[in-house]
Amino acid sequence: MTILAYIVGGLAVLSGFGVIASSRTIYSALSLVANMICLAVLFLLLNAQFLAAVQVIIYAGAVMVLFVFIIALLSPGTGTDLETQVRSTPRFALGIVAVAYIGVQVASLATNNITYNRDTHELRGVSVSRAADPRDTHSFSFTVDDVNQHGNVQTVGGELFTTFLLPFEITSLLLFVAAVGAVYLTRRPETPR
Amino acid sequence: MLDIEVFPVLLTVSAVLFALGALGVLVRHNPLVVFMSIELMLNAVNLAFITFGRFLNSEDGQVFAFMVIVVAAAEVVVGLALITQVYRSGRELDVDELNEMRE
Repeated sequence: MTILAYIVGGLAVLSGFGVIASSRTIYSALSLVANMICLAVLFLLLNAQFLAAVQVIIYAGAVMVLFVFIIALLSPGTGTDLETQVRSTPRFALGIVAVAYIGVQVASLATNNITYNRDTHELRGVSVSRAADPRDTHSFSFTVDDVNQHGNVQTVGGELFTTFLLPFEITSLLLFVAAVGAVYLTRRPETPR
Repeated sequence: MLDIEVFPVLLTVSAVLFALGALGVLVRHNPLVVFMSIELMLNAVNLAFITFGRFLNSEDGQVFAFMVIVVAAAEVVVGLALITQVYRSGRELDVDELNEMRE
């Protein structure tokens, strides 16, 4: 399982690089699909089965199909995107800053030496009251029996509809506004301007 | 299931993906690729949320990741609608050229 996490993590980084480095837009979209599927596998390994399913259905399914349709509809300039980028120096400098940011992030994570004591449940000096036991397949704030009985989907759903009920309802409003906004934005003008 | 040593690695993957997304937003000219880079950043944040949620033994990370997915879906819908409108108005799809909303 650990080896699988390393492999899939590496694939996720590779496909993420493919998103920004592909010369054609459709290749970027396909790299993004690969990246999302890799992340779904990581979610499964992290015991987030519901999120893994949502990731595949909503992201790799719905959102990316939308992207591919728009790419097919607009078919924006093929291959000229990467050539023109070098000319604009401010963006190139910002790109170098972003790459430096990657370096700093990785270096700090590599040298941080995050320690976790299994006996005292200490994570880098911060006491974690109920840290997960990595050998336990179903270690959440719910008891193991609970999760075994109801499954991960039901525990997440219970949390979603009790503690986070108001934010959940607000997301429905957000989706409604987004749908109305998309219909309004893409409509054809009734009178030719 | 997962060894505890994997968690920093997953957080590193998340950080690298976020930085790659930020790089894509900064250097690419095609608004579609810029949107995909934003999706990449949101995905990276989701991975961090779920990793921390698993480590801290809490469902909250998963709930927040779910909210992020919903917001990302809404953002993509509106963003792609805007891109189609810009394309329909006959302008070139280049984020450097698109500096005003009106036609």
